[in-house]
Amino acid sequence: MIEQYIPVFLVIAFAIVFAVLVVFSSKLLGPQRPTPEKLSTYESGMKPVGSTHERVSVKYYLVAMLFIIFDLEVIFVYPWAVKFRILYNEIGTSVFVSMLIFLIVLELGYLYVYKKGGFKWE
Amino acid sequence: MNVDYLVNSLYLIKPELAIASALVLLVLIDLIMGNNKKFLPYVAIAGLIAAAYFIIGQFGMNSLAFVSKSNKGMIIADPFGAFFKGIVVFASLFVVYFSIKSDEIKASFERHGEYYTLIFGMILGMFFMISASDLILIYISLELVSFSSYVLAGFTKTALRNSEAALKYVIYGGVSSGIMLFGISILYGITGSTNLYEINSLIQSSSIPNLTFILSGILIFVGIGYKISAAPFHFWTPDVYEGAPITITAFLSVASKAAGFALLIRFIKITFIKSVDSAGYWQLVDLIDWKTFFIFLSIITMTLGNFAALWQDNLKRMLAYSSIAHAGYLLLGMAVLSNQGMIAIIIYFAVYAITNLGAFFVVMLIANKIGSENIDDYKGLGYSQPFLGVSLAIFLISLTGLPPTAGFIGKLYLFIALVDAKMITLAVIALLNSVVALYYYIRVLKNLFLSRPANGTFEFKVSFSNGLVLVLLAAPIIILGIYFTPLVDLAKNSMQILGF
Amino acid sequence: MSLELFLFLVFAAVAAVSGILMITRSEVVMAALFLILNLASLAGLYLLLNAQFIAVVQVIVYAGAIMVLFLFVIMLLRPEHEKIVTKISGIRTFAFIIAALVFVQLAYVILKSHPGSALNSDVTASVNAGTVESIGTELYTNYILPFEAAGFLLLAATIGAVVLAKRKFE
Repeated sequence: MIEQYIPVFLVIAFAIVFAVLVVFSSKLLGPQRPTPEKLSTYESGMKPVGSTHERVSVKYYLVAMLFIIFDLEVIFVYPWAVKFRILYNEIGTSVFVSMLIFLIVLELGYLYVYKKGGFKWE
Repeated sequence: MNVDYLVNSLYLIKPELAIASALVLLVLIDLIMGNNKKFLPYVAIAGLIAAAYFIIGQFGMNSLAFVSKSNKGMIIADPFGAFFKGIVVFASLFVVYFSIKSDEIKASFERHGEYYTLIFGMILGMFFMISASDLILIYISLELVSFSSYVLAGFTKTALRNSEAALKYVIYGGVSSGIMLFGISILYGITGSTNLYEINSLIQSSSIPNLTFILSGILIFVGIGYKISAAPFHFWTPDVYEGAPITITAFLSVASKAAGFALLIRFIKITFIKSVDSAGYWQLVDLIDWKTFFIFLSIITMTLGNFAALWQDNLKRMLAYSSIAHAGYLLLGMAVLSNQGMIAIIIYFAVYAITNLGAFFVVMLIANKIGSENIDDYKGLGYSQPFLGVSLAIFLISLTGLPPTAGFIGKLYLFIALVDAKMITLAVIALLNSVVALYYYIRVLKNLFLSRPANGTFEFKVSFSNGLVLVLLAAPIIILGIYFTPLVDLAKNSMQILGF
Repeated sequence: MSLELFLFLVFAAVAAVSGILMITRSEVVMAALFLILNLASLAGLYLLLNAQFIAVVQVIVYAGAIMVLFLFVIMLLRPEHEKIVTKISGIRTFAFIIAALVFVQLAYVILKSHPGSALNSDVTASVNAGTVESIGTELYTNYILPFEAAGFLLLAATIGAVVLAKRKFE
């Protein structure tokens, strides 16, 4: 069973090894002669002031939230698409209609966000 | 599995379809009409009336929808569900009217479309909650109700307490629904089914790991207990009731609780029942001792609710604690585990719904004018506004459970059920609790009638339509208090749950 | 040692270690990154349990979308400006007791109750249950109503998100 996923695991392993290799090889191979000036943050020649962590706007939250919702919507379409032909032969158009209703309800949400300016950056 | 199967099932869920279409219509109208939001409440009322019409039809039904070879059915159309859906629609109609009149809601005019849409989201979720017979549908409906009510609790966004209410609600809600999902997953793990009827037949025929089963049952109860605000899961109630807009508070205290109790009764009765004996007592599968569980829970819930209510100065907060106490009384009816107990719950709930809606309506009317819900600001209201004062008095007396109001009938049937089941100690504890409750309700009445008003506090007129609605809520309490046969007949009709 | 056992040990170890690292980090962003690692290794475990669809969803939704939201919220709140909660006495003990309780009950459920022993011990069905095909069949035939209800749930969530996050309405 699990053997069929070996390529996937290989890709994951390769990605991890490659990432680690790149990060550490530059650290190991490159010459490093640090001075306090070199290590300090570059802010156009000014002395760095305050924390680098600024509060981000609540607008990002809305974007992330909408992303999750539409991401979930897409998740429901995968099994439907995989199984559509077989189910269509078994039970006919109702399998199409059910997904249509689901999508209409959700696109209503999309339309709502669009009309209310949820996608605008104010 | 064919198209007929789906179409036939759709006939059985007409009320849900009506609400769903009204929801879609509300979003569309909000989008098309832009700033013209006058029509929204009327569309809402039309949708509710359509749903009510279909619900009346369901009183005669007794069947499962979405049945197939491998599934025993998703959702039930039966008189029991019809009754609780009726309560939800009844409450919704009044809440929509309250919303038209509420200053709090008027202030956030530009978000009215969202307001009514989310209320309909809640109603749809409650309908599913009331009639679902499958754990997955139960969980999704619970989440649908929760999501919508989180947003509605923090809807006005103007006051700090409003946002606080919403945040507390989300955190408690998230944790308890997570725990419930954990319980559902364990139950599915040991039985291999999410259908309540199927689980029932499985646990009757085979041996089940005992402790695991108790665990899953109690974990599932956490989610339901949160919705009905039973004792250890009640912490959100006072803050949310106080912080949310009054219309939403009224809706949560009546409709949300109705759906929660319907779900509880259905879950216990379908999943765990073995047989019902001739006297109407339920013989449950002896895996979980629900009787003891409910007895303890009801004692804690009502005592805690009543004693905490004693110290409250904010009327909304006091009504929140009183609604916790009422959840305790209703759990007494569960503890009896009999048809008689169920009739008592149904009668009690019908009365509680009318009374609580009325009480919150008066609080809202007064808050509209004087901007306060503090009990001390109600001093002398009975003199300058005798109509409001007397109505509030009727509602509070009914909540206490004194004759000649309908609240007395509710309590009477509850106590009779308890005494018949030979649970005298419990009846005495409940009685003592009612005495405690009397104290804090009377305290409000004392402020209403025995203190003189400060000059000019209550110089306003109650409009004709508001007065009419108030009479519509107050009159049944008196009438049902004297002539209660129709209520009892309705309850006896409504206790039929499919399959038993 | 079979391949499955080997992979299980790897994923389980990564999940456990990243879980511990997550709750012990004082830097919140680091904690969130370890949570991503934890969720990803859980996806591997799901795969080993023949729940392929759930594994993919776990990566796409949890390790992807929801973690993005987590990070945004962390940056929105900047928790390093907040007081450290662990100073409240007893809260660690309380958390430890709760965690121990959950551990014991899970261990009990797994060891004592022999899931699937008495009831529905249909192994082939349970192996097939996790595929995209069988989820599709169930979802669009038996569970069609919860599926549509989930649509309304997502609609309510969309509207709720906009109501909560948008200051000015048009």
